[in-house]
Amino acid sequence: MTGALPVALGNYVALASVMFFIGVVGVLVRRNPLVMLMSIELMFNAANVLFMAFARAWLQNAGQIFAFLVITVAAAEAAIGLAIVVAVFRSAATVDVDEVRSLHG
Amino acid sequence: MILNPFGTADWMAIAPIVALAIASLLVLLADLVARPAISRYGAVAIGLLGTAAAAVLAAMQYGHVYAAFFGGFVTGGFTTVFEEIVAIALAGSLALYATLGDPKRIGGTVALMLWGSCGAMLMAGAANLMTIFLGLELLSLALYCLCGMVDRRGARESALKYLILSSTASGFLLFGMALLFGASGSVLLADLARPQLAANPLFWMGSGLFLIGLAFKMSLVPFHAWAPDVYEGAPLPVTAYMSVATKAATLAVFARVLYAALPAGTASHVMLPVWIVAGISMIAGNVGMLAQHDLKRLLAYSGIAQVGYILTAMAGGSALGLRYAIYYLVAYTFMNLGAFAVATAISGEHEEGARLVSYAGLARRRPWLAAAMTFFMLALAGMPPTAGFLGKILILATSADSGYAWLGGLLVAGTAISLYAYAKVVRAMYLPQSGDHHVADLRPIAPLAWISVTLCLIGVIAMTFYPLTPSNVLPLLR
Repeated sequence: MTGALPVALGNYVALASVMFFIGVVGVLVRRNPLVMLMSIELMFNAANVLFMAFARAWLQNAGQIFAFLVITVAAAEAAIGLAIVVAVFRSAATVDVDEVRSLHG
Repeated sequence: MILNPFGTADWMAIAPIVALAIASLLVLLADLVARPAISRYGAVAIGLLGTAAAAVLAAMQYGHVYAAFFGGFVTGGFTTVFEEIVAIALAGSLALYATLGDPKRIGGTVALMLWGSCGAMLMAGAANLMTIFLGLELLSLALYCLCGMVDRRGARESALKYLILSSTASGFLLFGMALLFGASGSVLLADLARPQLAANPLFWMGSGLFLIGLAFKMSLVPFHAWAPDVYEGAPLPVTAYMSVATKAATLAVFARVLYAALPAGTASHVMLPVWIVAGISMIAGNVGMLAQHDLKRLLAYSGIAQVGYILTAMAGGSALGLRYAIYYLVAYTFMNLGAFAVATAISGEHEEGARLVSYAGLARRRPWLAAAMTFFMLALAGMPPTAGFLGKILILATSADSGYAWLGGLLVAGTAISLYAYAKVVRAMYLPQSGDHHVADLRPIAPLAWISVTLCLIGVIAMTFYPLTPSNVLPLLR
């Protein structure tokens, strides 16, 4: 590994892992699709933290570009996600995932 | 002088994808300009022309290996085969959409299908982590919208379910990619094959999370629960598209990782969980089929098992295994699209063809359709006179050869279970029913659906008699 990081690389990995874990728990525990979407964003951003840290450690710009790509995709995903949540609310008058279950399973 | 980082050759390499993107813009434009005049057939015709152009452009690239965009997209052999599979799935589901689709939303839907296929083709040729992620998200985002594109509560619900679960899987995949980038310092798949990575814990964690993401997208068993629900809720042509294109694109990524992006000697360890999960999928998928009364749910469970069969072929990591996997995937594409085409042919506004009840007495109302459906069911079950049988024999042979006979055993067991479920459809069509009052609701013949059924039949039969397996795929993979 090259390049001097003011903070040890391990700390970034730890931070990202904690963020990712919070995101996963959020998706599993919360029943509101908006909060679930936020948790998913947290998972994506955990990956971004890793990409930035590793890009600095390896002196590889690819990681930074990847992070930009992820930010763009996450924005598109949020836009589509909110549109779908609105569409579900219009047809079901609720968005709680425990109540939106006319499909068996 | 203006710097041009990408030469013409790079753009030629993604020509099929560009053709689809242009066609999708044309569809949107036509929808905007000629809104009252453009019929559903107009939009679908532009889409089919774009698909044909993409298929021809892809076929012209076969054998001309080229790594475009700094090695981010590889085309020529393996990629071409998967691009053609995506093109077949796209053409088939566009034809079905022309029969069933909602005329108000036809422009947007066709455009989204074309864009989703751009993503699927990107995945087919993706040789670095960024291209994989970009292709996967392009495909997935298009599919979330497509699932919810009808005014039915179930459709909206399936879109929400798919969005949440699939995005979570993307999160796992992405975090795995970040760890893999940390281990290798490169986003190129080829750099993941460096031997010193085998000792790096980041590599093991990263590939584990990456494979969880892929297993979800392939609907392997612990991560399969979304598939039946999403398939049931989505419109019939979208389900047909999803069941083939998503699987093909994800399998392409998986195959490239397995064959070209693992340090020597680690493949059997890294991939062992995948093989175990594939084995469980073959049993659980087929058992799940038994209880279904909805054709889309039945085919969703069938698809879970079929992915298991295809992975069984790849288990040894041999070149022959990959050829047989591709052979079976192409055969599966025709069988599955064929079954969905029959369902479309007997459907009206309310997608009657999705329910097994609608097949009661079909043999008397539509003898040819019933015969075709029987053939597709026999092929999916892997019965002797079909390509499904030949494919399974080849897979069994290669799995025994490469030391994964236990997977072959599970394949045979799964096939035995599945026979009963596929026979349920056939029995409904041929056995006389007491309350057989469906004779009255004979619909006019939907020409495009019938053409799709015929073409799929020809496809399956051709695959049986000319088992074409592209021989030089493996050297072109990297």
